Amino acid sequence: MPFKYIGRTTDFKGKTLWEIVGNLKNYGIGRYIKRNVFERYPEPSFMKIVKVETLPSPLEASMDDLRKVKVWVEKTFRGRKFPDVVPLKSATYKSDYVLIPKDEEKKYSDLKLEPIPEKILPRTTNFPPLLKELIYRDAEVKGETLKEEPKLKIIYKESMQSCYRVAKEGETPNVQIAYGLGTPISPSLYQGIKLK
Amino acid sequence: MNVITNSSKSVITTAIHIPFPQTFQSVRWARKPRWLGTAKSKLFRIPPRPVIPKEEELELRRLNNNYRTQMKSIRNYLTERYHVKYLPSSNVEQIREDFEKDFAQCNEINTKWNEEIKVLREQRIAEEINKNIEEAKKQLNEQIMLDKKNLEKAEEEVRLEKEAAKAFITPDTLEAAIEYAVNNPVDYNYAIDMEGNKIIGKDLNSSKL
Repeated sequence: MPFKYIGRTTDFKGKTLWEIVGNLKNYGIGRYIKRNVFERYPEPSFMKIVKVETLPSPLEASMDDLRKVKVWVEKTFRGRKFPDVVPLKSATYKSDYVLIPKDEEKKYSDLKLEPIPEKILPRTTNFPPLLKELIYRDAEVKGETLKEEPKLKIIYKESMQSCYRVAKEGETPNVQIAYGLGTPISPSLYQGIKLK
Repeated sequence: MNVITNSSKSVITTAIHIPFPQTFQSVRWARKPRWLGTAKSKLFRIPPRPVIPKEEELELRRLNNNYRTQMKSIRNYLTERYHVKYLPSSNVEQIREDFEKDFAQCNEINTKWNEEIKVLREQRIAEEINKNIEEAKKQLNEQIMLDKKNLEKAEEEVRLEKEAAKAFITPDTLEAAIEYAVNNPVDYNYAIDMEGNKIIGKDLNSSKL
């Protein structure tokens, strides 16, 4: 019977992890899975199941309370393999997992990974004009003289998945975080506008 | 009020003047609460997904990422600079010493105020007691006068009653009273005009009035 979907559309496409793992021999250890949303990246992202622990089914099974499972995987995200085995649990209810068929597994296992080039981010940037003025005035009140222009230390969010790192002392960053509009990715949007 | 400071004057003059308050309606300031649910007419509406051109999406993402990074950095800078935790003088002894110093100063001011207030308070209480005593004396006098007046009134009433009691019909005088009533019948069956004159009809015996 063909399905007719009603309601809001979703980006997810696939099954929950338990739906896949619970129907496989030995809980699918050694099999490959992937998340459908990560297919948006040009680099390959997939996971190999290493270990599975089952979790109890919810008391009242519904679309809002789907069964979860604890799975340890060897994770490859955007062409970069994680050094350690990664546990999955809280996101396993998402209906977005796809099992890779056995005949395609070789393609993934033999894949020559070409990770995306690492971004080296600057350690500091300029202060916003008003704050800079404030710092100068504060120094003046205290009777100090600033030898060089004050720089704002940039705070980055760091996660296992991030494809960037902060430049070491004296290293030249390959990305600029400029104050203001910066260099646009899509210059066509700024036609007729003067960019500093 | 005669004692209006400059600041309170300025507040009064800068207050918003609404000429006809009944013509204004207050603006609803918050959204409808979540527990009221989706409106009936909107229950089955499916909002279309926004379609953003690729280049615009990338540019917006870049700008937003930059913005968030910068804001995070500025917030961190301000925290490190102004938060008590990061202040150079943030050792516990120093903070306690400062606190005690401040407390002693405040305590001194408070004691001074208390003493000033104490003089005023004692003065006020003394005045109040005097006033109360005066008041009580006045009330007592009034009460005495009132009692005296009441007694006089009561005695007068008693005197009148005693006088009236002479005309009362007692068992001894009952016979005589009956005799008198029988011999002197009274007929009130007459009319009066506006001036109160009795108009005796032809049927009435004037001797019985």
